[in-house]
Amino acid sequence: MNNYEHTIIARQDTSVSQIKQIKEKYSDFIIKNNGDIVQTQDWGLMNLSYLIKKNKKGNYIHFKIKCDGSLIKELEKNEKLDKNLLRFLTVRVKNFDLKTNYFLKDNKTNEK
Amino acid sequence: MKSKKINSKKNKSSNFSKLSIFQPNKYKFKKTCPLSSKDAPIVDYKNIKLLKRYVSENGKILPSRITNISQKKQRELSLSIKRARNLALL
Repeated sequence: MNNYEHTIIARQDTSVSQIKQIKEKYSDFIIKNNGDIVQTQDWGLMNLSYLIKKNKKGNYIHFKIKCDGSLIKELEKNEKLDKNLLRFLTVRVKNFDLKTNYFLKDNKTNEK
Repeated sequence: MKSKKINSKKNKSSNFSKLSIFQPNKYKFKKTCPLSSKDAPIVDYKNIKLLKRYVSENGKILPSRITNISQKKQRELSLSIKRARNLALL
């Protein structure tokens, strides 16, 4: 079991309910495959520093997951096919830093 | 009288050595790495405020000889800057 930080960027024109769906879809997928979600953070709609597929903004969702490496492979396979997503990034970390959220100021409403 | 003269000469010479080009090492100005001290901020791809300080106007990573960052921290920095670029944060 390893600790992973997983970030997804969704398209700018997805509605709030769609983002919730995406969030649930992947958290269900993780739980089904014997993974543990330690924390999820919603960073909200943020400006991209350069265009990605003609999008100027993106919805960021951040997971902190405890699972095996094989799950990450499957997860990324699914995300590559998902048309609502622009990018994803997984980083293995030794210890989770659960206290600090660097993007809190942008979205006070989404924090709950 | 003679001894006084010698003393004054000695003093003068010692002052002169401070001003010369061949200074001893302790007078040299030496900076330390800003990220290696005890309560330094954590280098992380999410900490954009920190990363932006070490990137030029064109988005290039600044060399460590300008920013005086230690070799180890510079490696961490460049990796986390590249991660932030991938997520379009930088």
